[in-house]
Amino acid sequence: MVDSPVWRPVPRSRVAAASTARSPRRRLIPAAVVLGVLVTAALVVPLVVDLNQQYVDLASANRPPSAAHPFGTDELGRDVLLRCVYALRVSLGVGLFAALISSVVGTAVGALAGAVGGWPDRVLMRLVDTVASVPHLLLGIVIVAVLRPSLTAVVISIGLTHWLTSARIVRSEVLSLRGRPFVDAAVVGGSSRARVLVRHLLPNIAPQVLLATTLMIPHAVWHETALSFLGLGLPPHAASIGNMINDAQRSLLSGGWWMSLAPGVVLIAATLSVAGLSGVWRDRLNPRRRSELTW
Amino acid sequence: MVTELVLDHLSVRFSLPGATVAAVNDVSLRVRPGECVALVGESGCGKTVLANALLGFLPGNAQTSGTAALTGDGPPLDLLTAPDAVLAATVRGRRIGLIPQSPASHLTPVRTARAQLEEAVRVHHPEGTATRDHAHRLAARAGLVPDDLDRYPHELSGGMAQRVANALALVGDPWLLIADEPTTGLDRHLVDGLIGEFRRMVADGRAVLLITHDLAAAQRVADRIAVMYAGRVVEAGPADRVLDAPRHPYSAGLVNALPDRAFTPIPGLPPLLTDLPPGCAFAPRCDRAAPVCAARPALADDRHAVACHLPC
Repeated sequence: MVDSPVWRPVPRSRVAAASTARSPRRRLIPAAVVLGVLVTAALVVPLVVDLNQQYVDLASANRPPSAAHPFGTDELGRDVLLRCVYALRVSLGVGLFAALISSVVGTAVGALAGAVGGWPDRVLMRLVDTVASVPHLLLGIVIVAVLRPSLTAVVISIGLTHWLTSARIVRSEVLSLRGRPFVDAAVVGGSSRARVLVRHLLPNIAPQVLLATTLMIPHAVWHETALSFLGLGLPPHAASIGNMINDAQRSLLSGGWWMSLAPGVVLIAATLSVAGLSGVWRDRLNPRRRSELTW
Repeated sequence: MVTELVLDHLSVRFSLPGATVAAVNDVSLRVRPGECVALVGESGCGKTVLANALLGFLPGNAQTSGTAALTGDGPPLDLLTAPDAVLAATVRGRRIGLIPQSPASHLTPVRTARAQLEEAVRVHHPEGTATRDHAHRLAARAGLVPDDLDRYPHELSGGMAQRVANALALVGDPWLLIADEPTTGLDRHLVDGLIGEFRRMVADGRAVLLITHDLAAAQRVADRIAVMYAGRVVEAGPADRVLDAPRHPYSAGLVNALPDRAFTPIPGLPPLLTDLPPGCAFAPRCDRAAPVCAARPALADDRHAVACHLPC
């Protein structure tokens, strides 16, 4: 009788592609749950709860967490948890749309520069250098001022000042992919240059673009705070995660730690879960990596 | 108008700082539908440069002279001077297809074979509706089952990638296929399959320009063979004549180097393309060399042409 074979895993070098044990699957479920809870709270709670987040109750100002106010109240007696939920709506929207604008603009500029080359490349890259040479907070202020302060203006100004990184990433990726044989093969096959760019080059750089977009989301949330602090974003009483953390700084010195706790935790949780999900998605976008995963 | 590709005194050179590389010199060659022409020669003799010149893929420091006229479908088109847009719109994939060396790296790594084949079908047959069926027919002709198409390039074996490349090359129904070293790295069984595919393409009335250093493969598939040495065609003629009764000492040396013949390599090394001798480039390695070889021999315009003063 022949013994049935004993199967064992292949030893992997640490330098080689990540093994399945390090697969981001572990991140998938917690990240999806956390982000799901946050998004659902932001979208649903304001619709079903009949509470005014701006309700000022000076009698119960500066209260630490209790049963009535799980995350305490701020210096005007407003419920921190309730304000957090409203703030999430604003901040998630600002972060997402600003990141989208910056990646779309950056990808378009970088792909054009990398694929066309020659003088368009030089012009576009000098444009990138020029924009990069102006402090982006200053440029953002100018854009908001031109568009009249509003949430939309904040989103546009953040998007239009943060596309430089993705433009540079996309350009360098396109330049390195352009010399690969499959590009020549697509050209010899009769595909137009535009088709080669859209169907053969861009799919290859999607993971990098996705990563740049993800990193942009928390940055945009902070940037909105900076603009609001300067009086160009939201009005001071309106809740955004950035506004709340900023306001809470004052109370921190007088012992009001809970006011920054809830918005801080929410910001960190949202950032980590978006990063976790995008890590999973990035792996799924890479067929070679995907075929190594066992799920 | 007869469809054919006529190379007339085609030369390609590259300017480098302080040197000029004469990669292809004075090549005249005719390829007609229904025949397979093999261009054989050692590595570095200018075969691939010639293929790239025909596809419009020469680097910016290259200069060309002569013509490569593609006739049929209207006025003759010179592949060397036609603008890139014209080549892209009317020639590449439609009149000339490429069967690449290392087909797996000629597929976009992040898309399935199906996505790429169907895309090519849509590019070349935009009016067609049954894209999927069309792709399946092409795949079946190349010897693939539909399930194979759902794989990514890194999941394909070398033979399957070769078949995907063959299917892709035929999407636009080109009459001429340029195969650049297609047998490199394939084992005997796969070479047999590929040669069978080439014969079927020729039987369909297509032409195959096979660029290779694999004389054994050329022997089995080619109708005509052109032997290249240091950028020049030194002998051209029907395959059996060139292989069985070679007239140029270099061709004779190549044939004698085959394992089933004398198995003796040609002594010496090919000349540097930056520093070609004024006369016959093969003279330094040739055992028949004589003073007359200091003058460059012309390629006789003959059915079995040879560029040698003292042919075998």
